[in-house]
Amino acid sequence: MTAIYVHIPYCIKKCRYCDFCSVPLDETASIYCDALIKEITLRKKQYPDLHADTVFFGGGTPTVLPAADLVRVLESVNHAFPLAPNAEISVECNPKTASNEELRILRQGGVNRISIGLQSADDQLLKRIGRVHSFQDFQNTYNWSIQAGFSNVNVDVMHGLPGQSAEQYLQTLQIVTELHPHHISAYSLILEEETPLFYDVASGKETLPDEDQVADMQDLGIDYLSSVGYKRYEVSNFAIPGYECRHNLTYWNNETYLGLGVAAHSSMEERGKRYRFANTESIRSYLKAVEKGKIPEAEKILINTFEQMFETIMLGLRKTQGIDLKMFEDRYGCSLLETYPAAIERNQTRGLWDHTDPRYLRLNRRGMDLMNTVLLDFKDTNYFELLRP
Amino acid sequence: MEQDLSLIRNFSIIAHIDHGKSTLADRMMEMTGTVSKRDMEEQLLDSMDIERERGITIKASAVRMFYEHSDGKTYMFNLIDTPGHVDFNYEVSRALAACEGAVLVVDATQGIEAQTLANVYLAVDNGLEVLPVINKVDLPSAEPERVIHEIEDIIGIPATEAPCISAKTGFNVEQVLSQIVDIVPPPTGNTDAPLKALIFDCIYDNYKGAVSYVRIFDGEVRAGSKIKSMATGNVFDVTEVGVFSPTWKEVDCLQAGEVGYIAASIKSVAETKVGDTITLADRPAKEPLPGYKHVNPMVYCGIYPADGAHYNDLKDALEKLQLNDASLVFEHENSMALGYGFRCGFLGLLHMEIITERLEREFDLDLVTTSPSVVYRVFTVDGRELTIDNPASLPPATEIEHMEEPMVKATIMTPSEYVGTIMELCQNNRAVFLDMNYIEEGRVNLNYILPLNEIIYDFFDSLKSRSRGYASFDYELSGYQKSDLVKLDFLLNGEMCDALSTIVHKDRAYGKGRAVAEKLKDVIPRQQFEIPIQAAIGSKIIARETVKAVRKDVLAKCYGGDITRKKKLLEKQKEGKKRMRQVGSVSVPSDAFMSVLRING
Repeated sequence: MTAIYVHIPYCIKKCRYCDFCSVPLDETASIYCDALIKEITLRKKQYPDLHADTVFFGGGTPTVLPAADLVRVLESVNHAFPLAPNAEISVECNPKTASNEELRILRQGGVNRISIGLQSADDQLLKRIGRVHSFQDFQNTYNWSIQAGFSNVNVDVMHGLPGQSAEQYLQTLQIVTELHPHHISAYSLILEEETPLFYDVASGKETLPDEDQVADMQDLGIDYLSSVGYKRYEVSNFAIPGYECRHNLTYWNNETYLGLGVAAHSSMEERGKRYRFANTESIRSYLKAVEKGKIPEAEKILINTFEQMFETIMLGLRKTQGIDLKMFEDRYGCSLLETYPAAIERNQTRGLWDHTDPRYLRLNRRGMDLMNTVLLDFKDTNYFELLRP
Repeated sequence: MEQDLSLIRNFSIIAHIDHGKSTLADRMMEMTGTVSKRDMEEQLLDSMDIERERGITIKASAVRMFYEHSDGKTYMFNLIDTPGHVDFNYEVSRALAACEGAVLVVDATQGIEAQTLANVYLAVDNGLEVLPVINKVDLPSAEPERVIHEIEDIIGIPATEAPCISAKTGFNVEQVLSQIVDIVPPPTGNTDAPLKALIFDCIYDNYKGAVSYVRIFDGEVRAGSKIKSMATGNVFDVTEVGVFSPTWKEVDCLQAGEVGYIAASIKSVAETKVGDTITLADRPAKEPLPGYKHVNPMVYCGIYPADGAHYNDLKDALEKLQLNDASLVFEHENSMALGYGFRCGFLGLLHMEIITERLEREFDLDLVTTSPSVVYRVFTVDGRELTIDNPASLPPATEIEHMEEPMVKATIMTPSEYVGTIMELCQNNRAVFLDMNYIEEGRVNLNYILPLNEIIYDFFDSLKSRSRGYASFDYELSGYQKSDLVKLDFLLNGEMCDALSTIVHKDRAYGKGRAVAEKLKDVIPRQQFEIPIQAAIGSKIIARETVKAVRKDVLAKCYGGDITRKKKLLEKQKEGKKRMRQVGSVSVPSDAFMSVLRING
């Protein structure tokens, strides 16, 4: 499996909690898709034999660009890295940025999954976190998506928002699930440094629910979603069985992915070695580089096998299914359980493993909550000790 | 060549912090041509960074100047700088004993402060002539007349002739120099008598070893002399003698009346004790100079490396500091919570702060210090008397007949409007009121007896904040008193944390127990299980708080662009774990020990 991610760095307005790479729509937007197509050509030379199983347009807000432009990029991807017949092709969309017509163009152009950012069904809360849309705007976008023929729709919701109560959050979930989307991403707000919300919280202008309230919301949310048929398959992701996001599973399975566009991250194999690299975060540098026919990379690091093993654990434990032990052994030539006995034992003592299927190393629900603690134990495993006979 | 004693003046400067002692010294050195203006570094005598920043003198030092008086003769001035804090009271008394006079610098905008007064009395006790000087008269708020009256009223010395100066601009500093000649008596002494040299400080030098700073009272000493310490009986061969001009300058010989240094390849400053008398081994003096005493530490605390791996670095650093500071004592200590470290003894709280600050700054160490403790006397039921400076060594309550704690006599000077709040502070700290008198209109002198234990936490800071910085404070030890003391322990998840134990008065135990438990609740991060925090006296729990179990620490989002960042975050947290100490099953951040240090309930 290889995934292709396309970053569209534009938004109408940045949300108060957002630290992603995004800028207001400016004059670069009109030439951005052409630049993407140039990068695709450059990447094709790098990876001539690459076939993609999923494509994901993320942002920013991809739908602030004309749908036809996105379709043009998709065609270029398909041309360079032939897509599997059943490829999953997602576009992220914020309410108020895509019309009925544009959604239709996306669908007809081959996009088969739409991911809509709602965050909350409470209009006042939406305003408070700097969203530009109302619940009604979301409702419209959702209906148009269904009308356009999308049969795989995700809705993003958040908890832990300023002033948000558990009741408010559950109400949002109830309203959303009544629409029967195929997939729901339900995130805890991460207060990122240097965002407007961060400064408001630091100065006391805004207050967030405390640690326990957030945990309560998350727990209530997980229970509620499961009661109405959405299975939690990753920390923050829920789906009607069969509708799990294959693109994102590529990350959590630690498989390869190629990121296109400004600030896009990639993890690819070259001559049997695994690398992580990222494109420049500056739109101007990005445009200049591809114009000159240069790969717009800002950093590239080699990931040694031991690091890859850790990444596979760090990402794989996010899935409720856990890590496929046979896959691990096939990939790295060593048994996970035998390589990290201390970390596994410590969390056995803490009672954080789910032992229902011996083919997987799997966290139970409490274990999922305390994943950071679990990972630190794996991090303590010393590479050089492993090398000793 | 024999020095004419009538042309020598040995003196020191007494002043409160910030009243301008070092500035005046700088100006005098400049005006006597001891240092050129070009080489003048602000506050030459305070050479340590900490001294300059805090505006206090930690080590004594000395400088020799030559002054041309209006009588046409040239006088040799030896200025001996004294440490400016109560912790170093003994050092001050020895430095003063090396002089015949003292210049008392009083800030014209402030008046006399408690510590200044204490040092003036010390000077008078040592038979010194006191020469008052009113400084900062160039400031708009200066009230020289008022301050002159204050000096006459409180100290009882005439001050109408006192030079009104500005050490900063040099205004009238010439008058000070001239009055030193006129008022400070020349030294007396007999160069032909057996050597008597008073050590008023010592300093460690990498090449010369421990170098004694001395005032010669009788006799003479030169390179090659065989000298003997009258306190220890140790004998050394003098390798070099010299004077301060202002840096070390070798001379042929030091004679009665002079101030200088003696180097004798002495390995450690512990062998050159301040207050000791040096004489000649083959022609010793009959009697040592009076006033020598062995100084014992007053305050103890545990010092540990924040990262246990740095134990040896800490040991090296303490050894280096001790080379130059004989009053610092330390020995290996092992704490269940903090691992390997040192029990360190200090002259007082400031001394403790200076040492820990120097360890961190000059040796780049990250430290954890435990609650400071005074030295208690413990009388056991089986009739033994123990000296306890570490709560961990206290016998069980059932074996203790009674305990005694060190007391101090405190002098507090304050503008009268703060008397109420200061009295309240003193009462809260178990102080017994002695008396109160008006120094002058609007200024009050309060005297109290209170336990040393009560002033080693935040007494001084509280005093300053209650009086908006105007009250000053001085104390001297005043024996031991029977006291109802208990050992206050803290338990984390049922395990006692020895590093947090402290000895407190019974009446204070509840307040302190509660305050520390509350603080610990805030500074101990949530862990996988609920952590009860208990304050206990023996088996009796007097306060309880709970750190709730961690609910979630998982990162909500981890997509393609988050992976590298997430790995870095874990790396950082792994580093952070190294700074955690294990108390039983509980991880406690090193900072937590520090944050409860100053809580005094």
